[in-house]
Amino acid sequence: MSHHTIFSLEEALALVDHDRDIFQAMAKLFVEHGLKDLAETQAALAAQDAAALARSAHRLKGAILQFCAPAAIEATIQLEELGKAGDLKSAVKVCAKLETELLRLLAALRHVLDKGLSA
Amino acid sequence: MPLVSPSLPPSCATQTAPQTVLVVDDEPVARISLTARLKRLGYRVIEAGDGKAGLELLRRERPDLTILDWMMPEMDGPTFCEQVRRDPEFRSSQILMMTGHDQPEQIAEGLARGADDFLSKSASKQEITARVGAGLRAANLVRTIENARDEIQRKQDALERELQSAVHYVESLLPIPGMLLPGVELVHAYRPSLALGGDLFNVVPWGDRLLGLYLLDASGHGVSPALRSAAFSTFLRGDSLLHQVGSNDPGAILTEANKRFPLTEDGNYFTIIFARLDLRSHTLSYAAAGHSGSFLHRRSGEVSWLKHPTLPLGFDCSNTYGTVDIPVTPGDRLYLLSDGLYEVPAPTGELWGQARLEDTICELGRRPLAEVISRTIDEATRWLGHDRFPDDVAVMGLEITA
Repeated sequence: MSHHTIFSLEEALALVDHDRDIFQAMAKLFVEHGLKDLAETQAALAAQDAAALARSAHRLKGAILQFCAPAAIEATIQLEELGKAGDLKSAVKVCAKLETELLRLLAALRHVLDKGLSA
Repeated sequence: MPLVSPSLPPSCATQTAPQTVLVVDDEPVARISLTARLKRLGYRVIEAGDGKAGLELLRRERPDLTILDWMMPEMDGPTFCEQVRRDPEFRSSQILMMTGHDQPEQIAEGLARGADDFLSKSASKQEITARVGAGLRAANLVRTIENARDEIQRKQDALERELQSAVHYVESLLPIPGMLLPGVELVHAYRPSLALGGDLFNVVPWGDRLLGLYLLDASGHGVSPALRSAAFSTFLRGDSLLHQVGSNDPGAILTEANKRFPLTEDGNYFTIIFARLDLRSHTLSYAAAGHSGSFLHRRSGEVSWLKHPTLPLGFDCSNTYGTVDIPVTPGDRLYLLSDGLYEVPAPTGELWGQARLEDTICELGRRPLAEVISRTIDEATRWLGHDRFPDDVAVMGLEITA
């Protein structure tokens, strides 16, 4: 699957005024820490800690917003809202969706980093 | 401090150091993005990864603007705002709260807890530029106002120190209470107003059976009338009167003073009563210039105001002032008062007035002189509703005991 369907590189670059170095730094950081952040979200859900779930989803959302990845963003927004509402039952499905979308986003970012932004 | 146009990088708009923005966000990717954008706009950016660290940085670095996330570990955004607003030194800091939502309830809560404005996490470059620019303009205005307020306070403090110094000087010129002569007891009270007027009173010893006494009031408020009164009191010293008037007649003294102390360029003048008490003949002689606040309280209880319509000093240099002689007997009390005592306004604006003053003195009757004066001032204070008199209060009481 092309990264174009997972996130918008053009829009993400526009957010940092087309500063490719900054984008690369952000992408590297997220690739390194994204899975850990996801694990925190899953752990909060497993522990039935709604507040922690909302907090970790909020944190992930802040990062994913920078990459203009609509499906992953939507999943974090939903998960944060469900955490705030204490609806942990509905959160299970959304968390699974987030995992799928996040893994796709991380793979797409790795691909862009490996090929270089000019590719 | 010049305002920075939001359309220009701050480093180009002014020659001063770039303005500082503190970014507080626990999510490093979003923080890098915002920081990079702000740096490109020409701002100096400092960063913190949670609210607690952000608060420490704000106190240490005093940024012009703080942008912080709502939800953070350790201390969330709204709590950060509350802590800043509670701190007198930092309560006017400008704070932009980042939020992923734009629900009115959340914005209302953020504003209520101390945020100045909001910035969406998905805000466009134009919106970030505009909101940060607006926040910094507000920060500049607040700092300008705070600097002006501090400057006014410094000047006010300096002025009050000067006034206090003048008060101490005036107090050093006042007579020592007690037995002035065998058979004459003096009690006085002096309550300078916050603005300091020009009230001054003193006695002029002319031997063991004769003395002069006066109460003068220089128009206006501040150090200037106090100094003019002090200069006038030098003229009223015993040796000075001997040389410059050649007489201890109150009317002659005021007539000469009228020539020597004309109206100032600002139209300021003196009112005064000058009295001479001769214990050999038991005669009180006095002359007044625009002063109508003194009276004799006879042992019998009768009150005689020493009132005659006269011009204050300095209005007409050819004016002469006459002396009035009245007999006194042991037990009589003479009160010389400044208008600051009986012209005190109640909260409604109504003045206390000479009639209420006279009633108060008469009710206190033959109580000790010091008590009469003290309780009369207390009564005026009650009428005023607080103890900060709008004008100087000067009271000199003499009791003829023999």
